[in-house]
Amino acid sequence: MTPRRRIAITGIGMVTPVGNDARSTWANLQAGRSGLATIRNFDASGFPVRIGAEVKSFDAAAVINNPKLLKLATRPHQFALAAAEEALTDAGIRPAISDGHRWGFTVGAGMMGVNYRELETVQKFCAPDGEFQPDGLLAEDFPADPLAFSRSQTNAGLALLTRHFGIRGYATAVHTACASGGQALGTALKVLRRGHADFMLAGGFDSMLNPIGIAAFCLLGALSTDNDAPERASRPFDATRNGFVMGEGAGFLVLENWDSARKRGAKIYAELAGDGNSLSCYRITDSPPDGDGPIQAIQQAIADAGISADEIDYVNAHGTSTQMNDKSECAALRAVLKSRVGDVLVSSTKSCMGHLIAAAGAVEAAVCALAIRDGIAPVNANYSLPDPDCNVNLVRGKSKPVRIRAAISNSLGFGGSNSCLVFRNPEEVE
Amino acid sequence: MNAKIVFTGLGAVCGAGKTVDEIFDAIVNGRSAVAPIKQFDASRWPVRVAAECNVENKILVADRKLHKSISRTDMFGIYAADSAIRQSGLPAHRETLDAAATIHFNDRSGIFAGSGGGNYYCNYDFLPAIAAAGGDLKIFGGQFTESVNPMWLLRHLPNNVLCHVGIRQNFKGANACITNHCTGGALAVAEAAAAIRAGEADRAVAVGHDTPFEPETLFHYQRLGLLSPEIVRPFDRDRSGTVFGEGAASVMLETAADAQARHAASLGEFLGSGCATEATGVFGIRPDGDGLSQAIQNALADAGISPGAVGMIVAHGNGTHASDASEARAIRRVFGEKIPPITGFKWAYGHLIAASGILDLVLALTALRKKIVPGIHTLNFPDPEFAPFPVSKTAQPPRSDIALVLCRGFGGMNVALLARANP
Repeated sequence: MTPRRRIAITGIGMVTPVGNDARSTWANLQAGRSGLATIRNFDASGFPVRIGAEVKSFDAAAVINNPKLLKLATRPHQFALAAAEEALTDAGIRPAISDGHRWGFTVGAGMMGVNYRELETVQKFCAPDGEFQPDGLLAEDFPADPLAFSRSQTNAGLALLTRHFGIRGYATAVHTACASGGQALGTALKVLRRGHADFMLAGGFDSMLNPIGIAAFCLLGALSTDNDAPERASRPFDATRNGFVMGEGAGFLVLENWDSARKRGAKIYAELAGDGNSLSCYRITDSPPDGDGPIQAIQQAIADAGISADEIDYVNAHGTSTQMNDKSECAALRAVLKSRVGDVLVSSTKSCMGHLIAAAGAVEAAVCALAIRDGIAPVNANYSLPDPDCNVNLVRGKSKPVRIRAAISNSLGFGGSNSCLVFRNPEEVE
Repeated sequence: MNAKIVFTGLGAVCGAGKTVDEIFDAIVNGRSAVAPIKQFDASRWPVRVAAECNVENKILVADRKLHKSISRTDMFGIYAADSAIRQSGLPAHRETLDAAATIHFNDRSGIFAGSGGGNYYCNYDFLPAIAAAGGDLKIFGGQFTESVNPMWLLRHLPNNVLCHVGIRQNFKGANACITNHCTGGALAVAEAAAAIRAGEADRAVAVGHDTPFEPETLFHYQRLGLLSPEIVRPFDRDRSGTVFGEGAASVMLETAADAQARHAASLGEFLGSGCATEATGVFGIRPDGDGLSQAIQNALADAGISPGAVGMIVAHGNGTHASDASEARAIRRVFGEKIPPITGFKWAYGHLIAASGILDLVLALTALRKKIVPGIHTLNFPDPEFAPFPVSKTAQPPRSDIALVLCRGFGGMNVALLARANP
């Protein structure tokens, strides 16, 4: 049997609520600076929740010099284009006409294709009294917009990015709610291992920071309503936590075969060593209190990486700051880490940048790679009152220097999809 | 050497029938489900036909409580997956296991879904609140909770089939929900098989489901010139576009060793998959079929077989000018002058978008098990531009027991699947 291909992370790009590139995002996460504030994307003043973690002062045109392409892109597509451009530049390699078919693309894509203004137009023509009448679309003056239709397709982001970067191999978009980004990277890892591509651009993008997205989570009661103190609203694992804060953004990684990365002299942040995913099969809304489901995902990922749980020095938790998720995740960490649960550092960077939904797993994977490179576990901000149900070794107060042999990143999605990724320090690999 | 992976269950529901046999019977008897749309009043619309699936909700999903918390597309997906899993006999097999073995069984059982996701109807639940707000977002923000169901988001999650099939069947292993326009279902099969090959799961169900013909979708597809006002005629000189269908299909995959050990019937064998994008944007398509020929080559390499081994091709054949023409060129590029018999099934059940490729696979296996390549019933004048091109109005004999199933979608996406049918 041929030995399994080892996969290296050689490029990173991010657009997040705490920075419009990887460098500033990572610097601000280390410093524990909050990206949470009153919502400015739209007039949220009448909503029960008026806070979010928005990407700020973002100018896609500054990064992507292609006005025609940007017209086809939604706001989260633009985040994706910018983050992917940064990742490819960082990796120092990109698809060429000669090898575009050996490049693959996987992405965790958000679920929202239609924006509020477009929906308002449909309401005006088809539902003057609120009830939808299809014939309204046939009105002569209905402003049919083929660009809006194009942008609304589930794989529109994939289409834009593969076209812009010339990626012509395996390509897919996945959506498992909050686990999407993690699953996209896991899929990329497997495509590389089975030799269906030599390079992958993999990541996630999302923005539900719009009237329908915020409304949807308000209805579920999943968001923090700390409207007067946004900076402290996301406090994962704190006893007083009361919901997550909606974020937006994108994260992309360049993945390639370890040996060829070394051969071309690429810098390697970390090995993407293992992927595990499971279904909780519990309830659509709730997390299993005993961690069943997440436990299997973490165990599978560790086994897949060919390491033991004893080598894990840092956990980038899903840590949404909802009562149930954090409790369930801690139960899973206790079950997997056993006696080492007091030693392994845990933090949720959602404390600073909110929940990026379909992009969360991808951005947090990038954070793990940077944490390994710099030997720093980023702070779990806003933590003050311990919760006995969340008795894990949180990175309190400020970020902590620590040599990380291996890190894991959890992404636990609505509907019970759980994803776990394992990253290894290059020094441990060689 | 890869572990041999077999199909032990097939499930399908669409306009042409609610079982695989019913659908196959419609195909071989030349019955098309394309008919005037009933789900909404389309009498004034330029396109008024689709292959609607009129199976009642209570037959799709017996648990009526669940009807309120899922969408129509989810009903189809759950029904198809349940059908495939039931046929495999796996639930009955699980009953024979002890407690520890049952836990292991569940943790090693995967689900891969291809979902249409992100449709329009779901947003219309907000229309009353938008109407009441009269353009003032502040009013909307204060009022929407009065008219929208608190569980709105959960009803419309693209990954609902994954979650609910998981809960119903207690399959807790490797999983993915693929949202890649038409290729979601076909890629679900590819990823399910890859997970078993890589040892991440012992078995997995793949399912694709979609309900694409909402008024807004119909409206935009029609304006893009993609829809026929009457019928799908793949590879015909007079083809005029595609027609929407709806429904779902599913396959249960497991290792041949496992199936044999529990004496389950193997309906066929998964051989390989290939996937490539043409990098042409959302609607673009290359005239030379480059991405499709690449996907076919990748699938042949993955399966370790030569083009000559393929016994039949189930083409994507969506009946649009550009797609059929480039598909014919891609097939010729790979197979040269030795093209096996080609067919396509969309004339019978329409284009199911995310479910299309996996439904075609289910019917391809069924056809090859009966050793026939069904004819394209609506084909009158094979386009001379492609000649010689082995499509036929009547049934043809297959060249071998191996089927190549092709699937294409927006984003320049192309997927090819190879499977062998067992008699």
